Amino acid sequence: MPPRVDREKCDGCKAEEEPLCEQVCPGDLMSLGENKKAYCRQPRDCWDCMSCSKICPVGAIETRMPYQLGYHVAKLIPMMGTNTITWTCIDINGKVERFRYKNRND
Amino acid sequence: MAPKIALMIWDQGGRLAQAVDLAALVKQLVRAKGVVRSQVISDPWTPELLEDLRKAIPAGEINRLLWVGPFTSEQAVNLEVELKAAGLNPYLHHWCDLEEQGVGAPEVDAKIRHRKAAALLQMALARTRLLEPLEPVELPAADAMLILGAGVAGLHAAASLVDLGKRVFLVEKESGVGGKVALLSRFYPRLCDPHCGLRFCLDKLGASPRAEFHTLSTLVALEGSPGNFQARIQKQPRYIREERCNGCGACAAVCPVDLPARQVYGLENIGQLLPATGKAIHPAAPMAFPAAWVIDREHCPPGCRECEGACPSGAVELDQTPEEQVLQAGAVLVTTGWDPYPLSRVTELGYSRHGRMITNLEMEQLLGADRLGDGSIPALSLADLKEIGFLQCVGSRDERHLKYCSSVCCAAALKQALQVKERAPEANCYVFFMDMRSPGFDEELYLRARDLGVIFIREKPRVEPAPGTGKLAVSVIDPILGRPLRVNLDLLVLAAGMAPSQGTPEVAQVLNLPQNSYGFFESHHQCHPEESQRTGIYAAGCAREPMKVGHAIESAHLAAMKALKFLEGAFQVAPTFPVVDKNKCDQCKRCMEECPFASFVFDEKGFPIPDLAKCRQCGNCMGLCPLAVISLKHQTIKQTAAQVETMDASFMGDGEPVVLAFLCENDAYPAAREAMLSGLPVPPNVIFTRVRCAGSVNNALVADALSFGIDGVLIGGCQEGQCHFVRGSQLVQKRSGDLGDKLKKMMIEPERVRFASLEIRDAKEYMDLLHSYVADLKAMGPNPFKI
Repeated sequence: MPPRVDREKCDGCKAEEEPLCEQVCPGDLMSLGENKKAYCRQPRDCWDCMSCSKICPVGAIETRMPYQLGYHVAKLIPMMGTNTITWTCIDINGKVERFRYKNRND
Repeated sequence: MAPKIALMIWDQGGRLAQAVDLAALVKQLVRAKGVVRSQVISDPWTPELLEDLRKAIPAGEINRLLWVGPFTSEQAVNLEVELKAAGLNPYLHHWCDLEEQGVGAPEVDAKIRHRKAAALLQMALARTRLLEPLEPVELPAADAMLILGAGVAGLHAAASLVDLGKRVFLVEKESGVGGKVALLSRFYPRLCDPHCGLRFCLDKLGASPRAEFHTLSTLVALEGSPGNFQARIQKQPRYIREERCNGCGACAAVCPVDLPARQVYGLENIGQLLPATGKAIHPAAPMAFPAAWVIDREHCPPGCRECEGACPSGAVELDQTPEEQVLQAGAVLVTTGWDPYPLSRVTELGYSRHGRMITNLEMEQLLGADRLGDGSIPALSLADLKEIGFLQCVGSRDERHLKYCSSVCCAAALKQALQVKERAPEANCYVFFMDMRSPGFDEELYLRARDLGVIFIREKPRVEPAPGTGKLAVSVIDPILGRPLRVNLDLLVLAAGMAPSQGTPEVAQVLNLPQNSYGFFESHHQCHPEESQRTGIYAAGCAREPMKVGHAIESAHLAAMKALKFLEGAFQVAPTFPVVDKNKCDQCKRCMEECPFASFVFDEKGFPIPDLAKCRQCGNCMGLCPLAVISLKHQTIKQTAAQVETMDASFMGDGEPVVLAFLCENDAYPAAREAMLSGLPVPPNVIFTRVRCAGSVNNALVADALSFGIDGVLIGGCQEGQCHFVRGSQLVQKRSGDLGDKLKKMMIEPERVRFASLEIRDAKEYMDLLHSYVADLKAMGPNPFKI
């Protein structure tokens, strides 16, 4: 399921021609629309890698869970620390699990 | 260099030993990574201790020092300097005060005090391990100041700078210098001729090899950075060689052009003030300096070259073209001044239609020369004027025009009324005003005017032409007499408001200099009135704010003094500037966009790098970098992240929330420190760390804190509009809001992240804030990430 952009929040990465989500998307799917808000050009091609959700500086992009893993209400949300990613996984029954991973790219 | 940390705990008066089990702490810490010695000292200034350190440092036994104790910042600096001689870089010290964090508070449970002290020391150690030696950077600087606008402010600043041995470039768009003040007949409060003061400056500048005048010139581009600006100026042709012309006037005798001066000069608002020349070749205005005349070529008849032949010194050069030139300057002083608010916009008065209505600037001409320039008002001599009105606040303090007070017009009207009364005591002067504003000693003008019989009426009158007389009929209800008053005025002087000079928008664009909502150049107005948001560029005089002549001169000197730093050949920059990690930066340019001082530039590979001369080291770039790859040196993201990670998220024991606070060092931190040291019952749940600006706190650090189980993160900044770095608090609030929205999705209470604005003496507010915050966090329960 493709990323969903919160249009209220998205600021088109200000002066940037290529917003961060566009730079980071491995499938080159994200782009700026005429309203200077990011959108996914080919939702069907999205791999759900969540790179865009992780990098968005204003937290405007939410990746919907792929149907193989859960229905709409299920969510997987990353929160980026300086050297950690903290995940919150909410399944279709509303059960919440949380994980923290330390990056090793220093 | 592997850290070898000496831990020095100054237990002043044995207070710490009473509060915590110091021996156990020392025992625990001496085993910590990187610590080579740990000792409790009762006096950090004993010669033995310093001698010991002076030996241990060069011997390589110690390479970092963690001082624990209530050191003042002066004491800290003294010790840093002391040990610098022994070879320890001043940036390898870390200072940790346990008492300001509330470790000494007697009402807190001893166990909590002990655990909090241990947590603080571990955090301090984590930072100390990552300290790096730093050296200040020296940048080269020119010795010249570029001054835009050769009015009274610019000339006085230039004269003083030349006295100090600096070079000055005066760039003036008119053909002559002196600005608006040169158009005045008298200035207040001493009522002397302004040309005297201007001439004094001009003589000094003219005699100095260090002053360069560029008249008929405008700035078209500014490149470089403070200390090394390259200013490209464009000079319009004068058609006369400045070095040859001495203003003999032989050319004017042959010039066939006959035009009213207003048209020749093309200046709508001050046209009537200029000399009544009808010639295309005429002296430079407002003050001819240098003496060379100027030709308005657009008025020359086609093919006419009469003046060329008439000039005895061969100065006329009719084929000149615009020239460009680049000037090297260390700093820029903007004294572009003001222009009268266009009275044609105040339509209800009909200024442009009635010849008996003049502006206060035109009145100066009348008082100075006893006639108005181009003869557009026939037979208007001071001797014929029996009834003169002064209408104040025309445009000023008016929502439709200028919302501010132009600050000089009241005193200017008093000055003019006094001059009228002195020369023609039988003439009646009426001042119609909203409020007479004559601050300070200018009140004397008011008292003198009142004594001389000037009539003050606090009412806006109704003005219309008096039929058949050519005069102005003015009717008003005098609020003191309570009676209608009707008088036929010979002349009505309108106090035109002070607006930024017409060229201001272009100057602002070339300099990238922010303007306020009225169009004047932005300033701090309070603590640093000379300071603009662009380092090395200073605004003074009426370009910054309406002000009287004396204040304009003062403001220009203040700006010149502040700018001296960039005119000394070289200047130092503290090594605590931001650095961008180019391995991780993805060139999103958010730092460029948001830097309050526009100090980021591209390097040769397209990465943003801070211009060290422009940077004010506020750290807002560090706070807003989406990838957290910008760090202020000595306060790096890594150092702070290490502290956050080390923080013991359960030092309060079960069921008690733990808060990490990032406090702005300007206001929130002193407030917190004051609260603790003055013994206010502040909840012990908080550990704070000081930051350069609230805006330097990156969301990644807040996310770190939450994910390591800290229950709440408080960011203490300044109130709106009070941030030392323009909008740090505003930016961090926006980011905290975004993070809060994410937390909500993550089923975590967004209120765990809180922004609070505190002023420097808000110790009690800080305490109240923490009580309510801790109570809220308690109600929320522990952070779900607490594992």
